[in-house]
Amino acid sequence: MQFLKETHIKFTEHSKKAISVSLLIIFAGLISLIFVRGLNYSIDFTGGTLNHVKFEKEVEPNDIRRALEGTGIDKSVVQGTNHPQEYFIRLPRYSKEGGVADQVKEALTSLDPNYETLSTKGVGPQIGEELRRNATFAIIGALVVIGLYISFRFKFYFALGAVAALVHDVLFTLGIFSFAQMEISISTIAAFLTIVGYSLNDTIVLYDRIRENMQTKKRFDIRDLIDNSINQVLSRTIITSLTTLFVVVVLSFAFGEVKIFAYAMVIGVITGTFSSIYVAGPVLIAWQKKIKTSS
Amino acid sequence: MFKKTRVRLIIIAIVIVLAGYSLYWSVSYSMMSEAEKEELKESGQLEKYHNRILHLGLDLQGGMHLVLQMDTPKLIQNLASNKDDQFYSAVETAQQQSRSNDTDFLQEFRNQVDQKNIKLARYMSDLGYKNEDILKQLDQEAKDARSRALAVIRNRVNQFGVSEPIIQKQGEDRIVVELAGIDDPQRARQLLQRTANLEFKLMKDPRVTQSLIESIDEYYKSGEVAVGDTTGQGVIDTSGQEDSTTVVKEAQDTTVSVEDILGTQTETEEDVGDSTVVADKEMLKEKPFSSLLRSGRNGIILVEKKNKYLVEKMLGNEKVQKLFPYNSDFYWSPDARTVTLQNGQTKQFFELYHLNKEADLKGTYITDAEASIGGGGTSAGQNIVNMTLNNRGARELARLTGANVGERLAIVLDNSVYMAPSIRTKITGGRPYIEGFENMQQAKDIAIVLRAGALPAPVNIINERTVGPTLGQASVDMGVRLMTISFVIVIIFMVIYYKKSGLIADLALILNLVIVMAVLAYFNATLTLPGVAGLILTVGIAVDNNVLIFERIREELDKGKTVKSAIDSGYSSAFTAIWDANFTTIITSFILMQFGTGPVKGFAVTLLIGVIASFFTAIFVTRTIYNFMTERKVKQTLSI
Repeated sequence: MQFLKETHIKFTEHSKKAISVSLLIIFAGLISLIFVRGLNYSIDFTGGTLNHVKFEKEVEPNDIRRALEGTGIDKSVVQGTNHPQEYFIRLPRYSKEGGVADQVKEALTSLDPNYETLSTKGVGPQIGEELRRNATFAIIGALVVIGLYISFRFKFYFALGAVAALVHDVLFTLGIFSFAQMEISISTIAAFLTIVGYSLNDTIVLYDRIRENMQTKKRFDIRDLIDNSINQVLSRTIITSLTTLFVVVVLSFAFGEVKIFAYAMVIGVITGTFSSIYVAGPVLIAWQKKIKTSS
Repeated sequence: MFKKTRVRLIIIAIVIVLAGYSLYWSVSYSMMSEAEKEELKESGQLEKYHNRILHLGLDLQGGMHLVLQMDTPKLIQNLASNKDDQFYSAVETAQQQSRSNDTDFLQEFRNQVDQKNIKLARYMSDLGYKNEDILKQLDQEAKDARSRALAVIRNRVNQFGVSEPIIQKQGEDRIVVELAGIDDPQRARQLLQRTANLEFKLMKDPRVTQSLIESIDEYYKSGEVAVGDTTGQGVIDTSGQEDSTTVVKEAQDTTVSVEDILGTQTETEEDVGDSTVVADKEMLKEKPFSSLLRSGRNGIILVEKKNKYLVEKMLGNEKVQKLFPYNSDFYWSPDARTVTLQNGQTKQFFELYHLNKEADLKGTYITDAEASIGGGGTSAGQNIVNMTLNNRGARELARLTGANVGERLAIVLDNSVYMAPSIRTKITGGRPYIEGFENMQQAKDIAIVLRAGALPAPVNIINERTVGPTLGQASVDMGVRLMTISFVIVIIFMVIYYKKSGLIADLALILNLVIVMAVLAYFNATLTLPGVAGLILTVGIAVDNNVLIFERIREELDKGKTVKSAIDSGYSSAFTAIWDANFTTIITSFILMQFGTGPVKGFAVTLLIGVIASFFTAIFVTRTIYNFMTERKVKQTLSI
């Protein structure tokens, strides 16, 4: 079986249109990120307490909120799950002595004495700050090291194209996270780095082909060369994107942090495939033009 | 060529055998019933498995993960007196600064002291006069407090009754504690943050201990209540019985522990020991309890590490406890120590002490304890620990030592016995010292224990995660289900799209997963939920490698090349792309391992192993299979 046999799509011709569509989305995302909604940080970053509880009786989220307020906990966020009687209860505070835990216990027992705590997570404020720092370091560090590696294995302007594609992916995903108010947790950071790695895979496979074609042909038009290379690897790109999508879509049926991870990956696979074709390729053309005009 | 393929096949076979062996323990352990596991525990064989199996993370089996941090600001406040607003504000600002800049608290405190021109001697005159000296002392105090906290927490966690608790130092001032299967987080929290309880307890007369041991023997021999299950006798490991007579002497010969404290040695080592020793296998049936014990020096009982669980269980029996004399109980040493036997073997032994149940002297009376070199008398030049007691403590100590010269007084911290020196004379004045340490480190360790009661090392829980057992099981089920589904989808897709070649890739994929699991088991690693996610992603990457190769081969076939040369150039031209792509993934996982904590690390580790393994499975293994298929007869077509 073969989906695509010898394609000749002129990708570079409509790359401008494609990029402007995605820039529009990124732009909207950035506006939401900076001015409107910001990011929904999980307690990993903000500090606080997260309880995953299961009731035997039917309990409404509002009842839980009211009961918590009754014991002196305000600003609680109650979130439903796939199971009707299970809730995530997020509190902005975490007390090391367990005072908050006592209040929660009191409130929930008043609703349903037979409730069960499935999991709890408490994060003190300093851990959150530390984590934010480490996460930023990790993402920037990964971009820098990867850039260096590609300049070493290919040429400098290839690294430029690859990093441009990666920045595109991270901004795109962050924007969607801000829009949809999906939670940024430790797992999301892991997902971001996986997206970086995945999108890079695509870009490198393409660049490898471009490099190979540059070596075999002495004279070439850069546009044609890039178009040919993209078409040559297109079949692989689609197969791999499809298999990865299968996997992450299945993962998105999970619960807890894995689910968020999977959501981030679904977005990442789509934007990663897009950026390796429409961002990583055209950057090379732009650079090539610059070389020509300057020389 | 034939030879080369054979070599390749042999390499693959070796890898499969090694992976199989590494996984054998995990598989056989997971197939055991609870009863079989209990039996294994009693016979002390469980550890052998524990060191070789793939552990499930707390998120999969349920349990508690805690990060504790030393509260240095509080420690400094505890050390100061006459505190005023200036002092409080310096501590508070330093705390905020260190938090937001991620710097050392003491460094920031130093800056504050300099900036605000604070005279520290006003608050801590006992630590020195100049600011510089006092700050140096504070540094030392903070370091001491850390070791105290670690000692106390390790001891408590070990008594928690959790199998395989994890206690790790993280960075300078953090301790990570993992307790599997704990379902009462509140209790765990309280236990860990409670102030340490130091007590002194007199050791029971060896003759009393001896007769108690005999009556316990009698009880178990009469078979009224079997311990554990009917296999009671079989559970006792008889393999060590052959040389049990020598064991006694050997255990005595090694001068591992501290000689003596507070006085000269008053007892000879053999006094109690010999009669509790079993000479042959017949005796094992005769003395089901004492055959597990070895006599050590000074009336201390030694129990081999693997027998500790069984001894504990036998002593915990309600009816046995009724046999205990008034005000008596058994206490363990906090850790096992290594004893070299005469035949050169080394074995781990715990010490078991029979002590008064009620404290004879409270540890709170101790105001200071310090390791040093003895200045005069019999202890000149020796490593000793000097103690200072407050007035009330001094009076009680004088009374206690006066009435019990020649007896042994055990140092008990949170129910663990650190040592049991003998009392040489009546001690008045409240400044006793302990002598007979082999080296300075031993003396320092005991000083830490003695100070734990007097100067609490405040710790805060800064991060905790608890997963209930129900959710843990649900996570395992979910992980297995999702894993199977995504795996099956990918496998079927590959076969449909690439036919027989897809089948080859699938074989490689399965081998890849087996290798990852085997490596994790070999390193005794823990598989967490994010780890499972990493494993699933590995599937994607391994498939991609084969897709790259297969697409190239198809291209080459389209160009009209023969099967053999299409395979050759397919592999060689796909290799650079695979190498670069996978290498960048390796870079990302390294960075994740470096910066990530807990869950992220688990993800990165499995991904890293998976990517490296995929070089072997997706390239080497599949290539070998192709070679094997094409070398015998020239193939005209390739199923791809």
